[in-house]
Amino acid sequence: MARTAPQRSWPGRPRTGRSDPRTVGTDPDYRFTLANERTFLAWVRTALALAAGGLAAIHLLPDALGSEALGLALLALGFFTAATSFRRWYRSEVAMRLGEPLPTSRLPQFVAYAIAVFAVAAVVLFVVDQAR
Amino acid sequence: MRPTSAHPPRPDRVFDAGLQHERTALAWERTAIATMVAGALLGRWAAEDAAPLFGVLGIVQVAFGGALLAWAGTHYEELHGPLREGSSPTHPTATWVVGLATTIGIGAALALALVVTLNR
Repeated sequence: MARTAPQRSWPGRPRTGRSDPRTVGTDPDYRFTLANERTFLAWVRTALALAAGGLAAIHLLPDALGSEALGLALLALGFFTAATSFRRWYRSEVAMRLGEPLPTSRLPQFVAYAIAVFAVAAVVLFVVDQAR
Repeated sequence: MRPTSAHPPRPDRVFDAGLQHERTALAWERTAIATMVAGALLGRWAAEDAAPLFGVLGIVQVAFGGALLAWAGTHYEELHGPLREGSSPTHPTATWVVGLATTIGIGAALALALVVTLNR
């Protein structure tokens, strides 16, 4: 069994073998595989929620100050989260199959801080908008 | 009453005591529903902005979410046997397709938002 997994920035289709984690290591406990799958799906839903929030900011508040910038920022964060979701799942799955430590990521911290900053920005924009 | 359908006999022991399989199936179904909602928002607002291409993409996203919801139910049923036999339940193709489809859907929403914002 190969000990190293192929490293790609945007993985190819799994059928080609380049991003099928089953090419390395051994099957882990099925519960870990399912937990990794649920984590992937939670990231996908987070991305969809960010995108829905971004579209709503732009379309439901067309006259509000800064709503477009806020909406675009939410959409960009959602896009980044979605674009990295498969890669995150793949790296965790490979690490489990090889019995290695799970890869660390700054994304959970970054997303949390970004949403906090967006929320504060929304409050400030609302107050400034009301005072105009 | 005994079941008369073609279903195999029910197992006589608990296999998945933590209900991991069921929780994962529900996570797939929630994701499919969220995909449909996001697609509906994209289609609805694309129509408002007279951007038919993005509207079609929104409709496609709703259809994809519906197909994913149906697949999730089938996949849940089909996985009982392999899980009891000790096979890995991993599904790289489904994961890859959902990751890519979500990226395309949100990319379309981002593009629509940029077009609308720049034209205002």
